[in-house]
Amino acid sequence: MSSVRPNSTLGRILRSASFRLTLFYAALFIASAGALFATVYVTATAAMQNDMAAVLRSEAFQLAEVHSRIGLSGLAQQIARRMNFRSRGPIFYLLQAPNGRVVVGNLPGMPPVNGVVDFVPKPDTPAPDADAENTKLTGFGLTLPDGSFLLVAQDAARLTDMQHAIVRAFAWAGGLTLLLAIAGGAVLANSFLRRIDAITRTNRAIMEGDLSARIPVRGTQDEIDQLIASLNAMLGRIQQLMDGLRQVSSDIAHDLRTPLGRLRQHLEDARERAKTTADYDAATEAAIEEADELLETFSALLRIAQVEAGAQKSAFAELDLSALARSIGEAYQPAAEDSDHALDIKIEESVSFTGDRQLLAQMISNLVENALRHTPAGSTVSLALNRRAAGFTIEVSDNGPGIPEAERGKVFDRFYRLDRSRSTAGSGLGLALVKAIAGLHGLTIELVDRRPGLGVVVTGTLAR
Amino acid sequence: MTDVKILLVEDDKQTSNYIAKGLREHGHVVDQADNGRDGLYLATGEKYDVMVVDRMLPSMDGLSLVKAARTSNVRTPVLFLTTMGGIDDRVAGFDAGGDDYLVKPFAFAELLARVGALARRPPIVATTSLSVGDLEMDLLARTVTRAGKRIELLAQEFKILEYLLRHAGEVVTRTMLLEKVWDFHFDPKTNIVETHISRLRSKIEKGFGRPLLHTVRGAGYVIRSPE
Repeated sequence: MSSVRPNSTLGRILRSASFRLTLFYAALFIASAGALFATVYVTATAAMQNDMAAVLRSEAFQLAEVHSRIGLSGLAQQIARRMNFRSRGPIFYLLQAPNGRVVVGNLPGMPPVNGVVDFVPKPDTPAPDADAENTKLTGFGLTLPDGSFLLVAQDAARLTDMQHAIVRAFAWAGGLTLLLAIAGGAVLANSFLRRIDAITRTNRAIMEGDLSARIPVRGTQDEIDQLIASLNAMLGRIQQLMDGLRQVSSDIAHDLRTPLGRLRQHLEDARERAKTTADYDAATEAAIEEADELLETFSALLRIAQVEAGAQKSAFAELDLSALARSIGEAYQPAAEDSDHALDIKIEESVSFTGDRQLLAQMISNLVENALRHTPAGSTVSLALNRRAAGFTIEVSDNGPGIPEAERGKVFDRFYRLDRSRSTAGSGLGLALVKAIAGLHGLTIELVDRRPGLGVVVTGTLAR
Repeated sequence: MTDVKILLVEDDKQTSNYIAKGLREHGHVVDQADNGRDGLYLATGEKYDVMVVDRMLPSMDGLSLVKAARTSNVRTPVLFLTTMGGIDDRVAGFDAGGDDYLVKPFAFAELLARVGALARRPPIVATTSLSVGDLEMDLLARTVTRAGKRIELLAQEFKILEYLLRHAGEVVTRTMLLEKVWDFHFDPKTNIVETHISRLRSKIEKGFGRPLLHTVRGAGYVIRSPE
């Protein structure tokens, strides 16, 4: 910003890009108008001069013909007649005898010249019209065969009048154009600046922390509106990501404080109260367990982030989903029995799917584990894989207490745990990972009320 | 399990010394390198039984080191150490010529068991039967007998027992079983391995007297003959 020029609206308009562009175009227009003017001026002048010369020449040759027919005195009479009868504008005549004496005419005598001549008649000579004094004349001189001299002349005012008219027309048009250009440029620049200002204001607001600020759209669907719309969309996406990030960091801070606190407790216990090696062993064992749980949480978070980033598709391959689901079901069978759950496995054979075997295994395992962990002893959990017309469904359902309607949307969020589950072990990341894995594989996932109990249904389209 | 010569390539001094100290305490000989170039120099110049290689190393990363060593005809088994969370890391490690991998941070017992398993990898000979004490497994008929008596095992129990028998006398960790038997490369919250082991144990030991399958606290399981 220049310190000399105040930051006034006018100053900003003058410095704005659109105003400068307008000025540039105005200058370009004036330059081209100037070229046009020069061309018109020169051609029109030349054409008019030619025209005048042609008229004078033809008049002169007509009179020369009269002279050859009826002699000098006859010509003098003819000229005298023509001087009184003007049909083609004021024409001046001069007929000089070979000795230089003026025979007839309304022009002063002069030395003979042949051809076109421009001259100003001496002021003391009688002029045909009062206003014709001092005017520039264009004449055509002709020396006749007997030595006498004939001059036919015309007032050059027609030419200069036309030239002046051209100059005036161009001056007006040029001036008006320049004026309009400046005014138009100023208006354009001002409206442009106002819209740019709106963008700058929003930008500042966002930098000052108001992430929800958006640039107003004018609704004209012009290119600035389109730019603003896409900027707003970008801001929306950034805000969404920032919110997600903020949520995750506060979740991490909140959910890791508890195990870290317990870890500290165990270590403190070892230092303050341990008397025997067995006491130390127990305390360190407990501390290691807490540390492992923390690491597991971190690992799960990283895994979710990686899966969500979609960076895992390299391990995609065609796999036998039926075999995978069955082996997972069988893996959990003894654990389910030990916790007094019935695990019901209903797998339809030879369903194949293209995906990451590890991630799909983890997805199904998490669903089974989740059902086993959050249902009371004596419940039945079922794992089913069914072929559907266009694909398959994997359903893990139970006849446990279910999830309140209001909380169902949140169970797939990171660290979300139902209030009644707060006391049980688990990071609250299992279902968030399930959701991320399903998303990576293009599977849809929904919670279904199984009255009593709950079902999680994962639906996929078979690769063809 | 002594006299295993190990090359450890790890740039973090504290981690490297911790691992080396632990391995030496278990009777192993350890050479340490703290960057990829030195690691490759040692790997191609000396004869090792096992190499433990960190994935992220200065001057030359672990993958390139192992790739280069493999092209120089070094056939030493490699255990990769990877950072947590990376799933593709495992695949990339195997592609580069690694034999096993371990995610950092890890329990030392896990590393020890895996180094042991790699160092003593049995030659790939087609065996049709495995045995420990009076327990016999017929790999073709897929049957198990103890003292001549037929024992009925479920498919997954059979796989667990087969892996334990192939590594008889060595500690097999919970994670190793998850990977080898179920191909699970994540840590389930449920004690899948423990429950299967307890069922397997009751099938092969109940009514047969001397125990074969032992739990090694804080490490894993080992199957060995009672003698």
